[in-house]
Amino acid sequence: MSISMIELVFWMIAAASLLGALTVVFTRDVTRMALGLGVFLLSVAGWFVYFSQTFLAAAQVFVYVGGVLVLVLFAIMLVHRSGAGRPALESRHTIDSIMVAVAVFVLVVSALQDVGSALTVTPLPGSPDAISAALLGPMLPHFEALGVLLLAALAAVIVISGGERS
Amino acid sequence: MSGSVFTGYTGGLIWGLGGGLVIAIATLFGVWWERKVAGRIQMRLGPQTTGPFGLLQTVADMVKLLLKEDITPTQADAPVFRVAPLIVFVPIAMAVTVIPFAAGWAPLDTSVGMLFFLAVPSVSVIGILMAGWSSGNSYATLGGLRGAAQMISYELPRTLSVLSVVLLAGSLRPVEVMEAWRWWFIPLNGIGFLVYFISSVAECNRGPFDIPEAESELVAGYFADYSGIRWAIFMMSEYGGVIAASLFGAALFLGGWAWAPGLFGTAIFLLLTVVLVTAMIWIKWTFPRMRMDQLMNTAWKVLTPMALLQIAIIGVVIAWL
Repeated sequence: MSISMIELVFWMIAAASLLGALTVVFTRDVTRMALGLGVFLLSVAGWFVYFSQTFLAAAQVFVYVGGVLVLVLFAIMLVHRSGAGRPALESRHTIDSIMVAVAVFVLVVSALQDVGSALTVTPLPGSPDAISAALLGPMLPHFEALGVLLLAALAAVIVISGGERS
Repeated sequence: MSGSVFTGYTGGLIWGLGGGLVIAIATLFGVWWERKVAGRIQMRLGPQTTGPFGLLQTVADMVKLLLKEDITPTQADAPVFRVAPLIVFVPIAMAVTVIPFAAGWAPLDTSVGMLFFLAVPSVSVIGILMAGWSSGNSYATLGGLRGAAQMISYELPRTLSVLSVVLLAGSLRPVEVMEAWRWWFIPLNGIGFLVYFISSVAECNRGPFDIPEAESELVAGYFADYSGIRWAIFMMSEYGGVIAASLFGAALFLGGWAWAPGLFGTAIFLLLTVVLVTAMIWIKWTFPRMRMDQLMNTAWKVLTPMALLQIAIIGVVIAWL
């Protein structure tokens, strides 16, 4: 065997990530796009497992695949008019989108250029203990700030969905 | 068993295939047991002619379903339609791997097992939505939408109820939770177990929470258009879900193997599991189906506050332990 098992796992996760991302970019069918996003989100969980962050992997599956993605699919199906066939995605901003995508790509590549070869993976403690100690220790202000942000978002949703009340 | 074929990548493959096979066989007997119990509830005998006590009835059914034509409707989104049953079944089969079957042993002994058990089956909701949507008919889509709404809602009280066990034991690793388990967890965590049990029934889309399938209004809901082996995989997922939820409840809430040493402990654990499975079947054949608004009210206004109350109780008590 020329490549080791762990490398094979690496390339399999990479292939899943790319497959999901390409599906999202190139398909016109909104439902399949959401499913491509699902493949990508699962592959992110795969990356977390690869770097032995099992807690983050489980949380990723729970929150993004089991929660957010289901809500996305739910919304697509709910707004779809019956009898109109499968909903397709029509973009009116092809040129603008391409410009933004290229700009983001250049930004990411230029940011990662210097790190590139120097990038080594240092295994971080991925246990729930370590994560909770960090979240309730040095990261507590960030954690609390995120909580306030989420509360504000929830309040906004209630205001928006409440409709007009005379 | 370190260093043998049961570890590493080949080990993963063996455990995966073996686990899938065990779940498949267990669901066959789950179906048989349900038909037996349902029969008794309705004052009939249930399957009895094929094999002793009709035990081979579901095996024969499985052979029949394997030979049946596998139809893909012309209106369906074929690739999505074909793959959907597997997306429902595989996560449920995976969830069983973290259950501690014997003292200090679970097939997959991970430090986040409790979260794993809750997180991985939540992927099967996607399969239900895929099945409902790709069938290309209104009944199936409605069933899929109902299933998604229901499973997302009941995930919350279910997770909160498991959290109370995690709080009590102080670990997310199922094997460690079992080691920390004491008999007085049952009275202390009684509300939590009730919430867990009810929301597990709802997560499996079983009566009285079976509105995504609702045969009297939606034909069969999200799997109305399926036939043959793909239909059977949906059935296996339902019973796999029931068995997985019962195994987890019997171990982490009711103590499982902690009641007795060695193999006796595992036997008691499996017996408790059968009791919980039977209770779920009993509930299905006793209560009428709930309406959508009643279903949501139960999740958000009854079960979630109950689970929070349980966590508050344990939060207070834990200081004295």
